[in-house]
Amino acid sequence: MQELRKFVSLVQRNIKTFFKDKMIFFVSMITPLVMLVLFSTFLRSVYVNSIKDICAAFNMVADNKLLEGFAGAWLISSILSVSSVTVAFCSNTVIVNDKTEGNLNDLLISPVRKTTVSLSYYASNFAVTFIVMFGVLVVGFIYLGIFGWHIPVGDLFMILIDMVCAILFGTLLSGIIVNCFISKQGVASAVSGLVSSMYGFICGAYMPISQFGKGLRDLLACLPGTHSVCVMRLHFMSGYINILAEKGLPAEGVKALKDGFDANLYIGGKYIPVGVMYGVLLGACAVLLAAYVLILYLKGKRMH
Amino acid sequence: MREPEYIIEIENLKKYYKTVKAVDGISFKVKRGELFAFLGVNGAGKSTTINVISGILRKDEGKVEVCGYDIDKNSAGARQKVGVVFQNSVLDKKLTVYDNLKYRANLYGIFGEQFKSRLNCISDMFDLSQILKRPLEKLSGGQKRRVDIARALIHKPELLILDEPTTGLDPKTRITVWNVIEKMRKEENLTVFLTTHYMEESSVADYVVILDSGKIVSQGTPHKLKSDYSSDFLRIYKNIEAAEKYFSSKGRNCKRVHDRLEVEFENTEQISEEIKLQPQLFTDFEVVKGDMDNVFLKVTGKQLKDV
Repeated sequence: MQELRKFVSLVQRNIKTFFKDKMIFFVSMITPLVMLVLFSTFLRSVYVNSIKDICAAFNMVADNKLLEGFAGAWLISSILSVSSVTVAFCSNTVIVNDKTEGNLNDLLISPVRKTTVSLSYYASNFAVTFIVMFGVLVVGFIYLGIFGWHIPVGDLFMILIDMVCAILFGTLLSGIIVNCFISKQGVASAVSGLVSSMYGFICGAYMPISQFGKGLRDLLACLPGTHSVCVMRLHFMSGYINILAEKGLPAEGVKALKDGFDANLYIGGKYIPVGVMYGVLLGACAVLLAAYVLILYLKGKRMH
Repeated sequence: MREPEYIIEIENLKKYYKTVKAVDGISFKVKRGELFAFLGVNGAGKSTTINVISGILRKDEGKVEVCGYDIDKNSAGARQKVGVVFQNSVLDKKLTVYDNLKYRANLYGIFGEQFKSRLNCISDMFDLSQILKRPLEKLSGGQKRRVDIARALIHKPELLILDEPTTGLDPKTRITVWNVIEKMRKEENLTVFLTTHYMEESSVADYVVILDSGKIVSQGTPHKLKSDYSSDFLRIYKNIEAAEKYFSSKGRNCKRVHDRLEVEFENTEQISEEIKLQPQLFTDFEVVKGDMDNVFLKVTGKQLKDV
């Protein structure tokens, strides 16, 4: 019980330390927002035209606001998926600072278990990433509200679940990398930058993976990050797709839209059901969690 | 239960980093309630020893008992009774003094009302009431140091480890820090384990251990160390030319310092003999006893201030 209270106190301390550093908070929050602005400025019209073309191929002329909303939903789901990893890396600043500035030693001289300290870093990282992403989600919803809101309550709930799964994945991945390889702020920033620029392409968030070659498409479709993006897309876009279907888009058109915008995922031409996508994502989280615990255990044994 | 006489007992402590012998088989004991000084140049093994005692580092060999706890068997028990002031402040710069003290106190199982009561006490002791709401990064060096020591004492430890606590502080703050530590020693029978670069701080210690290249090269009370190792110095302010010629001819170590001549003697008796032999040279002079700087130089061959 006492150890649990210490754990809660450490988590509070880590979260407060993160949010008191206005610069780090600003950077972690501004990155997804900048992406949103860049996406909507430079790519929105490309995607709207692409959706228009698909609809036109099935002799349907869709309402422009609906198409804008559809493109917006695609963009927001992409940004949220990428942010689950990039923000997680950014919010690891607290542990990296504690390591470099010696604050970690000040925690370790107290009668608290090392595993409690390590788990508190993970828990606070999860909480910070969730808070920042929730802020981004709210901004995204406002954006969709402006361009056209068609997300049913059920999907809204699923989006929150998708976000939690994505954060679980992102925080575990970043936690392992930071614990294993990073003890300097400069390295942390470099890795964060590298991940930010690469991850969006790897998980198909910056460009639909349906546009890549078959080999690359199959390779990317095997990665858990891609599954995270796909489930998020599905729940963001299904409301819009249903409206399009109601307005006369045939089943082939719906499939073409879903395939073209990664709401459907295929490996080797075989369709991957949503349940399997969750399975892959949560399975990856379980593997990462096991690796994280193992690393903490080995580091504890080998410590210093 | 009767408390053990020694608060730290270390036997044959070894800590190696690959081929570097950071601490190489040292043994010493620290009596409860005393001010214990640990001297050595950078890299002598002081911080490694402190880190082993405070539970940050794992030792390679030897036995370490802190506050009656064998750190191999009950490290947490020992950590509950030890407070550490690190060389550099390791508190959270963005958080307020209050938050820093609260979160650190929580780690020792001090919550709620118990924390408030302890905070009031420590706040009075270190005059923190005006700065409790201020972020640590906005404080002056002296204020930060006071907070560091307050943090180390928030859980009423029996042993306070001070790793060069006054390095970089102005003289006034150094005096303030030492006054507080002295007060704590008297009022709470606190044992203080000190490493310092300031020899005048070590000279007021009850016991001194000098460490060099991971080994203990000498130990004892400051008085004993001075008697064993330090020289006495004769300072002559008049007839400097003649005095220098005379003492140089006798093979004495002479040094001109500003307006005086400084001559080194093994002990005060030798100076008395010279006064009797050459009274004309002693019209304006003084005799200065050797200090801990001198002891350190003699024992290690190194100047502590220069490192």
